[in-house]
Amino acid sequence: MEMSSLGGIPYYILEFGDELVYFSPYTVSLFLLALVFTMFAVMAKPERQVDIAFGGDAYYAKETSLQELRFRRFMAIACGFASMGAMLTGDIFNFTLFISLVGICNVGIVAAVKNRHVQNAAYQYGIVALSATVPLFGAAALIAATTGTLSMVELWSSATPAVPLVVKALLVLGVMGEGMAPFYAAKAEMFRAPGAPYVIMCSLSSLLIFLRVIEVVLVI
Amino acid sequence: MWQEFSIGVLLVFIAAVIAFFALVVEKDDLHRLLLLDLVEVSSLGIIALLGTDLAEALILPGLVVGIAELLALSQIYVIKEGFRDKVVQGLNIEVIQADAPLIISVLLICYGVVLSGFTGGGVAGLGVVFYFMARGHREHFELLEMASGISWATWIFAFFVFMFIPEYWMFALFLAAIGILLKVMVKLSLSATIWGDGNE
Repeated sequence: MEMSSLGGIPYYILEFGDELVYFSPYTVSLFLLALVFTMFAVMAKPERQVDIAFGGDAYYAKETSLQELRFRRFMAIACGFASMGAMLTGDIFNFTLFISLVGICNVGIVAAVKNRHVQNAAYQYGIVALSATVPLFGAAALIAATTGTLSMVELWSSATPAVPLVVKALLVLGVMGEGMAPFYAAKAEMFRAPGAPYVIMCSLSSLLIFLRVIEVVLVI
Repeated sequence: MWQEFSIGVLLVFIAAVIAFFALVVEKDDLHRLLLLDLVEVSSLGIIALLGTDLAEALILPGLVVGIAELLALSQIYVIKEGFRDKVVQGLNIEVIQADAPLIISVLLICYGVVLSGFTGGGVAGLGVVFYFMARGHREHFELLEMASGISWATWIFAFFVFMFIPEYWMFALFLAAIGILLKVMVKLSLSATIWGDGNE
């Protein structure tokens, strides 16, 4: 498939040795989305969970300690940076590395809440994320083995042999594993208050990496 | 060559399937954590099968990501199971409390310096990790961090020499090798102290 028909014609391709970054309308819009939400994570204040005492009209709000707030915010911002990198990179292996970085940051975001259920969910998600590195890195290595290059610019030209369908499937499988965070966050009921609003970065980064991997799989 | 690569990939995938199967069957969280290491190794195996210098360049970040995830998961496990309050103060074994850690660490560090580069850093770092784990630690983190920062700067400086004055490549090569050796060693030794001495 032609590059120009899918993500739009790239404005600019930055090549620096092996490193390759490209700016097409698609990648730039995804990048801006990640940037805006990272800004939100920088500015946002943590949500307080309100518990209502049953049978009376009393209620109390749980405080988030400064240390916990800092850690969560740091993880959300790091996750934002990792997804920005994953949106712009034009190198398959860098792409998989950024994706696994998103996975690690999501583990951190989920695990920041000191609650046994949440910790359990974070642990399960960490196992999934770590297992997903097998198809993820495996796909990148197999792409390098079958075509001899990792650069997406080379791969979308017709000079290189086509990437086998199995390898593309492996890549998607790996991204699915890393992008499972919202499922586990929902399982631990984190969207209501314990992790809010930083947990939104989990959803956003998963959405973004899914959107990007579709483009990657279609163009290579 | 293709023949051998295909057989290798097949073997690695069989190993991965076995590891995944073990992960599904196993119910104990700690054992799962240990099994994850097997899974991780098979992902590195696929990359290593490329057998070029590109593979070496790819395996290092892959390894780092794997170690980072394993460390994160083990931290979560420690918090989840409430082991955080139990302070680890060196191993209570007679051989460890004698001079063995010192001798083994010195040997590993010497060998690491001979190897130099990333591998050397790994080997020497292992020696330091072993020493800290056996002895507990009272060292100054600022000092370690400073050494790490300076070696990183050395490494970057060597890269600039490569780019702008390539005729001094030999000098740059030695700088980069020493820089990455110290950097990896310090990083690894910091990971040995991650369990802390109870005052965090």
